[in-house]
Amino acid sequence: MGEMIYVPTTLEEALQIRKETGARPLAGGSDIMVQGKRGIGLCPELPYSVMIISGLDELKGITASEDGSVTIGALATPSEIASSSIVPWHVRKAASGMGAIALRNTATIGGNIGNASPKGDLPQPLILLDAYLVLASERGERTISVDDFIIGAKKTALMDDEIIKSVVIPHSSFTYSYYRKIGMRRANAISKLSLSAAMTVQNGEITDFRASSGAAGPKVIRSRSAEDIIRGRKIDEIPSLKEDFLSAWNDAISPHAMPEYRRHTTRRMLEYFLDEISRGAEPGIIGEE
Amino acid sequence: MLSEIVFYVNDKKTVFSGNPLTRLIDVLRDDLHLTGVKEGCGEGECGACSVLKDGKLVTSCIIPVGAVNGSHIYTIEGIRDTEKGKCIVDAFVEGGAVQCGFCIPGMVMAAYALLESNPHPDDEAIRQGISGNICRCTGYDLIVESIKLASERGGALWEK
Repeated sequence: MGEMIYVPTTLEEALQIRKETGARPLAGGSDIMVQGKRGIGLCPELPYSVMIISGLDELKGITASEDGSVTIGALATPSEIASSSIVPWHVRKAASGMGAIALRNTATIGGNIGNASPKGDLPQPLILLDAYLVLASERGERTISVDDFIIGAKKTALMDDEIIKSVVIPHSSFTYSYYRKIGMRRANAISKLSLSAAMTVQNGEITDFRASSGAAGPKVIRSRSAEDIIRGRKIDEIPSLKEDFLSAWNDAISPHAMPEYRRHTTRRMLEYFLDEISRGAEPGIIGEE
Repeated sequence: MLSEIVFYVNDKKTVFSGNPLTRLIDVLRDDLHLTGVKEGCGEGECGACSVLKDGKLVTSCIIPVGAVNGSHIYTIEGIRDTEKGKCIVDAFVEGGAVQCGFCIPGMVMAAYALLESNPHPDDEAIRQGISGNICRCTGYDLIVESIKLASERGGALWEK
């Protein structure tokens, strides 16, 4: 006999079940159903109770706020995210490269974050953009940055009575953007490595510079101290600062498997982004044909 | 709390009252005998079990039936005798797209979803449209050609 399975129809009901039973939310099921798989004709079994929250309207939709931030409901699928014109480019780009069409119609942003796989595609650009989560419980709502929420591989700061309600991405406007996911094939690939980078330049001064590495350690890596080597400096200083930055980023990432490959490739991607800007690339997306 | 899941399969109302974690594919195949839905990998990677859920292509092996309450599901059995379904099936036959046939129901569903959203796809769009459907016989070229044929033959059919 498996554990209890609940199908709440409202957020209120879901929060009550969550508090009383600790049942874990299943949104799309694309990770959990595979984890519980037992074979043809057999109902998946999991070592914990589950509530299927796919039907909760309170967790759906993508909306823009007046302050320029974008709120993505936890049940939004990669397809919805990739085709939304109000979602920031890095996140759309990552969503459009997840799995293949059917998976993009099934998986959810809440599940991709909550599952906290080091290979998850969405946390990487979300952490680049300082996105935060709205967590709901019967006690009320609280917010936490995606970076703080994901503690490590498969570990999150979600409390036993909480559900991820939405993801909020603050407004940002970059002069240069970069995103790259490396997998074994274009469709249905689990990330081997991914990288986002972004820079804002005003009158030759680098007013903002960020990078985030996915699948290069137990969780997405953003090193603000490494970013500070470049942030606030002048564009023509990039060649002289580059080596310090690349070496600081290399120290920040902690690849467990194929470390040489991951370190080398991360370095190549960051160097390419910086070199293109130094060379006077047109503002916009770097490295996109 | 739902004690039973009510949904529509090929326009027929279906009520399911078992374990909501039951895979949609098992309900379709075992309860409704819609055996055109094939199980390949069982992990959402091969596309053999592809069906339409509210118009969108999904793999029925990784969807719990508890997630389809109120949804409209179409399988190969539900589309093959429609004008659009026939158009694709005929093109697959004429184009020689089929060898062993195991992937074909899923492939037809992917082609259907593609042509519904993009009536006249180019080669690249077709390859992307079936990128989640694995065929181990044909090398894909004849399938791509057949979908192109369905797009041409269907013409205005796909623009509705």
